[in-house]
Amino acid sequence: MTAVVQTEGLTKYYGKRRGLEDLTLEIQPGEVFGYLGPNGAGKTTTIRLLLDVIRPTRGTVRVLGGDPREPATRARMGYLPGDLVLEERDRAIDYLRFLGRARGGVPAARIEALAERFDADLSVPMRKLSKGNKQKIGLIQAFMHEPEFVILDEPTAGLDPLVQQEFLALVREVRTSGRTVLMSSHVLAEVENVSDRVGIVRAGRLVAVENVAVLREKAVRRVELHFESPVPRDAFDDLPGVRDLRVEGAGVSCTIDGRPDALIKAAARFTVVHLVSAEPDLEEIFLTYYSHEEAHHDHPQPA
Amino acid sequence: MITRSLRDVRWVLTWWTAGVSAFIVLYLSVYGNIKQSPELYGPAMLAKFPGPLRDLMGGLEDMTSGAGFLQTVVYQLFVPMLCIACATLLANRALATPEETGTLELIVTLPVDRRRLVLARFAALVLSLLVLTAVTLLVAAGMVTLVSAGVPFGRILAGHTGVLLIALFYGTVALTAGAATGRRIVASAVVGVWVVAGYAVTTIGRSVEGIAWLKWVSPFHYYSSGRPLYEGLPVGDYLVLAGATVVLALTAVLAFDRRDVGV
Repeated sequence: MTAVVQTEGLTKYYGKRRGLEDLTLEIQPGEVFGYLGPNGAGKTTTIRLLLDVIRPTRGTVRVLGGDPREPATRARMGYLPGDLVLEERDRAIDYLRFLGRARGGVPAARIEALAERFDADLSVPMRKLSKGNKQKIGLIQAFMHEPEFVILDEPTAGLDPLVQQEFLALVREVRTSGRTVLMSSHVLAEVENVSDRVGIVRAGRLVAVENVAVLREKAVRRVELHFESPVPRDAFDDLPGVRDLRVEGAGVSCTIDGRPDALIKAAARFTVVHLVSAEPDLEEIFLTYYSHEEAHHDHPQPA
Repeated sequence: MITRSLRDVRWVLTWWTAGVSAFIVLYLSVYGNIKQSPELYGPAMLAKFPGPLRDLMGGLEDMTSGAGFLQTVVYQLFVPMLCIACATLLANRALATPEETGTLELIVTLPVDRRRLVLARFAALVLSLLVLTAVTLLVAAGMVTLVSAGVPFGRILAGHTGVLLIALFYGTVALTAGAATGRRIVASAVVGVWVVAGYAVTTIGRSVEGIAWLKWVSPFHYYSSGRPLYEGLPVGDYLVLAGATVVLALTAVLAFDRRDVGV
């Protein structure tokens, strides 16, 4: 099967400024790929290279087996830009029809169905739409021609939780139908529920590609336990993966590296009244990876 | 794509067409007075403007004849300048403005070849300027008949063809600069400098020896030296303008095709 995305040594410099360095990545059909990284890490640069908005400095990029420079390749793709700007004077429906025609025709019923799903009003001029409502229009246009490969740059920005759920449901449907999605985010929580694999990019380099399950397991997280009565410290001392342990009366807090199994089993001997496990912080995941990466890459970091 | 571009500019185009038409109506309507007392207005005009300024206005030798008046107030400066301004505005809307605002990013990801995109935007520019000049041509011809200025339609058509060509030329300059740099300010600056310099060279510059040769790079030379209102269509000169426009448009296509958009 042809990979949906296949890049090798893909590099982009904006003059002297580095955008992306030496990206080698494969995304398979039917996969939802989460692309994570802090702002300015190179996510949008990668996405623009995949869509031929910008051209690589070095390296190769193939999308759906073809060159993204060919209109025929782009016809099979959908795209939601990260900073979406719409034609302000147009009504949403006119703009969507125009984009649909340019992509070889989209049935009006499909646009309506998507609009209904996201509860989007297509009849008002787009300048009157709020950020979230503009984002809905952006999502509709990205999905409406049923592309084989959908690229979404920060898709959930500005969406309310209800629409976010609807959006994630749509992404799952797309995956079920065998199509492929790449979505970027700077928040792991946004992509982890729907992604199969996650790539982490930092300072222009892809530092890790992991299955989401593995990533979660590796992730550092903060755990707080409250018991009915004070607990002895030695019950929690020296548990595998547990760091920064603090025991204060009936409260225990620590950081877990990897599986929480040992801690849970230790805690099960007492009566637990309250448990908080903070979502793994992306920044901390980065740090975990980054500290590993530095050993591998001895390149001097350009300023 | 072309329809879409035309839709985008329909209001701007309507207002500019109305504006230029109003200008022509206003200025040609005073010709009646001049025609009645040429001995009064002719010398008065000449006295009012010192030498170089007179050159800048295209000489003013012949303000009192129909063709002379039409040349001076309509075709010498104001109407071509207005049309060039309009053309620059429309050309900027084609690529540079959408690139700066960000709407172009989605457009270039559509399954439309970049070269075709530029050609479509160029075609829309040509059509828009055709509308602008066709309407104003009818207005000018109508006014000439109304005030009995006695200039045959064929000559007005020849003059107006020049307006279309020079507006299209500068519009294409803006389009090309915009396609190459993606910046409105650069496009407008290139047009602005070339217009002022080109116009100055063919008017004041005519009598200055050192810079007279510069007229060959001034579009205004090809626009006006054939005196279309007096002598009819200057085919050679106009072909130079049209040819230069085509070369520029192709440059725009190539420049845009090989460039990063929106960075």
